[in-house]
Amino acid sequence: MAAGVMRELDGLGFGAIRLVAASSLLVGLITVFQVAYQLAPYGAEVVSARAIAWFVAREIGPIVVAVLVVARSAAAIAGEFASMSANGEIDALRAMGLDPVKYLVVPKLGALLIALPALTAIAIVLAVVGGWVGMSVVLGFNTALYLEHLHESLAIRDLGVGLGKSVLFAMLIGLVAADEGLGVERRISAIGAAATRAVVFCLLGVLAADTLVNVVVYFIPGLT
Amino acid sequence: MSPALQGTVGGTTPEDFVLEVADLTGPAGVPVVRHVSLAVGRGRTHVVLGAMHSGKSLLLRLILGLERSRHGSITIDGVAFDAARPNEDELRRIRRGVGVVFESSALVSRLTLVENVELPVVEHTAVAAADARDMATQLLREVGVLGDLERTPDRLSRLDRRRTALARALVLKPSLLLVDEPGHGLDADAAAELDDTLLGLQERYGCAALICSQELRYAFRLPHAVSVLARGTVVDHGDLDHLRHSRHDVVRRLVDRRGVA
Repeated sequence: MAAGVMRELDGLGFGAIRLVAASSLLVGLITVFQVAYQLAPYGAEVVSARAIAWFVAREIGPIVVAVLVVARSAAAIAGEFASMSANGEIDALRAMGLDPVKYLVVPKLGALLIALPALTAIAIVLAVVGGWVGMSVVLGFNTALYLEHLHESLAIRDLGVGLGKSVLFAMLIGLVAADEGLGVERRISAIGAAATRAVVFCLLGVLAADTLVNVVVYFIPGLT
Repeated sequence: MSPALQGTVGGTTPEDFVLEVADLTGPAGVPVVRHVSLAVGRGRTHVVLGAMHSGKSLLLRLILGLERSRHGSITIDGVAFDAARPNEDELRRIRRGVGVVFESSALVSRLTLVENVELPVVEHTAVAAADARDMATQLLREVGVLGDLERTPDRLSRLDRRRTALARALVLKPSLLLVDEPGHGLDADAAAELDDTLLGLQERYGCAALICSQELRYAFRLPHAVSVLARGTVVDHGDLDHLRHSRHDVVRRLVDRRGVA
């Protein structure tokens, strides 16, 4: 089992690091400019750092990673399983007395449960770095000031909410993509449709789950 | 098991049957296979002969429980189960004693050849990983796969894929081998070579085989018993002599078309 998870982690986790890193840097940069632009009339651009910290940790980090993993891996998982179904490989596994869910789905789910929180942590750090580039290098604010605002606004609970969301998204992406892939008829033409459905349902699922978590968190004292 | 069926498998007693299928009808929605009964004696070969779309592949899937039957019972190696309502856990245990070669070979595309063959050993036995690899390597060489065994199946010829599937089916030394269209898509030489390998290994491992094919040569070369399937029903059943002299239309057409006296 552990070997299976490690094998999947290579593709689902390590393979996504560069994409997540580049995207997070850019998203951090974009966010800081958007917030600074809104605050400029009040002469409060420096407060952008405060917004960056909690918004990236709670929302942008987990969502960006989830969307990138959906785009990169949900279609791949569903396509792989649908292709295996069409080629009779799933039947072959069952005929060998193996449970396809245990043999195929569980390692992918395990890898996603490790990869998404780890990628989210990386995304949060790099989005904050992207925000610093925007604040300090482009807008010319002092790095120490940026760090001070960051330190004041970022709490452990923000990271907890963000990482908690990533675990939820990992479960959702893994289960929906696997279900779409394994649930198809044994036809080659079903592979593309399964991949498309997986992406659509995973994206909708991630956004719906994020909305739900945000609503729940809003009403839980101590988490907002 | 009807006396008629028992008589056709060389006088084996019921306890000698490694596979018994009784009144199998399925799949559950629209039955394509209807009231099929057959038995395969231990170490014997039974060929199910039929044209395309006669229900041969579906019959194998129903026996394996990969498709749910409408009714019927199946006994594999003394363990009986209701084909319409099998217990999945029990079915998984039963399947471990059955080797299957699918028409498409159905090798796991993400695994290498040697990983494909060692997979049942790794998953179902306590054999050490290195020993499982040795077993798989040895068996792959026995079935005639040459060259690098760390290749993935997509880089293999159809014959080598079929050989690898045969090695995977035999690696746990099953008491029953189910083979679907062994010569499908192979040229005459390759098919003959695979037949020889199949025969040799079946004899060496002492397992029974149920071979589904539309090719009459399997009926004349390999079996102890033949069932002729047409439109999902066994229309004739017997040993080789019976088949040669059968007066049934479907059997006569099969035999005459191929110029067999």
